[in-house]
Amino acid sequence: MKVLLVDDSNSIAMVVGQMLQDLGHEVVRAKDGKDAIAKVNENSDIGVVLLDWNMPEMDGLEFLEYNQKNKILSCPIIMMTTENKPEKIVKALQNGASEYIMKPFTQDILVSKIDTVVKG
Amino acid sequence: MISQEIYKYFADFVFKKTGIFYPEKDFYRLDSRINTMMKEFRCDTPDDLYQMFLTKKTEQMERFLIDICTNNETYFFRDNKPFDALVNDIIPQLQEIYPNQTIQMWSCASSTGQEPLSIMMSLKEKFGDSLNFSLKATDISSKALKKATDGVYSNLDVQRGLPVQLLVKYFESVENSQWKVKSELSKHVSYSSFNLLTDIFERNKFHVVFCRNVLIYQNPENKQEILSNIYHALKPGGFLVMGAGESLIGTNIQLEQKSLSGCMVFQRPKE
Ligand SMILES: C[S@@+](CC[C@H](N)C(=O)[O-])C[C@H]1O[C@@H](n2cnc3c(N)ncnc32)[C@H](O)[C@@H]1O
Ligand SMILES: [Mg+2]
Repeated sequence: MKVLLVDDSNSIAMVVGQMLQDLGHEVVRAKDGKDAIAKVNENSDIGVVLLDWNMPEMDGLEFLEYNQKNKILSCPIIMMTTENKPEKIVKALQNGASEYIMKPFTQDILVSKIDTVVKG
Repeated sequence: MISQEIYKYFADFVFKKTGIFYPEKDFYRLDSRINTMMKEFRCDTPDDLYQMFLTKKTEQMERFLIDICTNNETYFFRDNKPFDALVNDIIPQLQEIYPNQTIQMWSCASSTGQEPLSIMMSLKEKFGDSLNFSLKATDISSKALKKATDGVYSNLDVQRGLPVQLLVKYFESVENSQWKVKSELSKHVSYSSFNLLTDIFERNKFHVVFCRNVLIYQNPENKQEILSNIYHALKPGGFLVMGAGESLIGTNIQLEQKSLSGCMVFQRPKE
């Protein structure tokens, strides 16, 4: 499956990207929300998005809002962030995220969260 | 160096107390546990520890040993299907056999609480507040029970098996990136200590018993004994739910095997 990994941190992108590749996924990386929009335009077959919250240019929440208005994606979006306050989680869910991964997390958690949103 | 005598003493002790069995070839698996106890009870050598157990063993020492010899691995909605089967099939069937009765449930190896809380969330999501039920949750490990009664879980705990929608609904965030289960959920669960091997079972009491991923540590005789006790603890028509892949094979327990919502469950005959 093609996974769009949106995170401004190179080290996170590397670690998580490697995990995803080990799981047999193809990884497309975007470094913020703006870049993610561009990557969505270039890749029509994205199966799931992993979305950081805090990023320059366009942050994760802004990307969710943009997608709700413009419907550029039909696949599930999973937030993946250090933001772990319930208000934040609720906000992300209200704006179209289907699941939420709090950093730090384990590979098992990543696998099962992707599984649940992809299976629906 | 740990002598055979010491290994044997602790292996026998754990077996008698819990049914958890360390055969001679697995004695090395006691090494780290003996070390942990030496630190806890400030003993310099395994022999000192052995001496202490022989001459001034306290209940607290016994509890500590049991805690470190049990495997408390668990997570929310483990195997998923049993929780679907419970609310979609088991409870509706029980309501037909026992109309207007409080549904009595027991999670008999509840570890740190994820299993009873998953039962609770399933019930709340399906029935709201309309179902009359009680849920008893027990375990042999006092450490596991302490965490269950505190109801405080780490960031990692709450991401294992628990959909985030249920996390924000039924838990509140507390200090140190931890989450505490809300009382609307926890108030329905009553936790207590229960040793499946040595404690006395209630009879004809429960409509549903969850006994999952605990009998795997027992030898065939103990498994037979515990399952027989569970049989009698169930009401006629009551259900036993076991772990994925667990079954009554090797026992002569007369529960009827049924597949409900894709989950194997075991029902006591209705008489
Ligand atoms: C692997 S956990 C299973 C937890 C949960 N039922 C699940 O399936 O996720 C096994 C639990 O059984 C408990 N246990 C082991 N021997 C026991 C005994 N003789 N009586 C009661 N509980 C026991 C352990 O303390 C541990 O918490
Ligand atoms: Mg960031």
